[in-house]
Amino acid sequence: MVYITSWDEFVDRSVQLFRADPESTRYCMKYRHCDGKLVLKVTDNRECLKFKTDQAQDAKKMEKLNNIFFTLMARGPDADVTEAAGKDQGEAQATKKGRGRKQ
Amino acid sequence: MVLLQPDPFLNELTSMYERSTEQGSVWVTLKRSSLKSKVQNNKLKAAGDPIEYRCLIRATDGKKTISTSVGAKDHQRFQASYATILKAHMTALKKRERKDKKKATEGAGSKKARQGS
Repeated sequence: MVYITSWDEFVDRSVQLFRADPESTRYCMKYRHCDGKLVLKVTDNRECLKFKTDQAQDAKKMEKLNNIFFTLMARGPDADVTEAAGKDQGEAQATKKGRGRKQ
Repeated sequence: MVLLQPDPFLNELTSMYERSTEQGSVWVTLKRSSLKSKVQNNKLKAAGDPIEYRCLIRATDGKKTISTSVGAKDHQRFQASYATILKAHMTALKKRERKDKKKATEGAGSKKARQGS
């Protein structure tokens, strides 16, 4: 079991893994409230990447990763993975429009 | 294995998290699937129709397993509700303590200053 220490590396490699084989790649999450531990696993049945943590900040990062995987899986491996960035850009555009209307 | 609609699945998932606070774990697995057999898939490919993929989500507490399938249209709404459930229940994780780090750096800094003078 390969435990990855860097979050960004885990995200990059798991997205790469999914894009290479979307049919057999799966993303698993295990949460133990009594131990306060969270473990994430991404595997394509040949290679396995894992990430474990007990930090609340990683739960927030995991939520963003969940969004990425939901989009990739529902829309297809060619889906734009800049959804998180896309949402921020969308919000920025909306606020700019708002300022224009107020003036 | 119980296949549910997205909303009942979220309700069941919430009660699973609530039940496993004192002991046990909750596993959630996400996988892409078209929910059709290979034969049907091959027929669709031959006909030139695009295969509609869905995101299969399974959750278990070790004893009971529930699952649901989310398509491209409902995935954003599902993902928002799912994120809310996770945030509400993952409270046992440690919060980053910056105070300890600050105290450590201040202690080291003051020691160095004393040694220098």
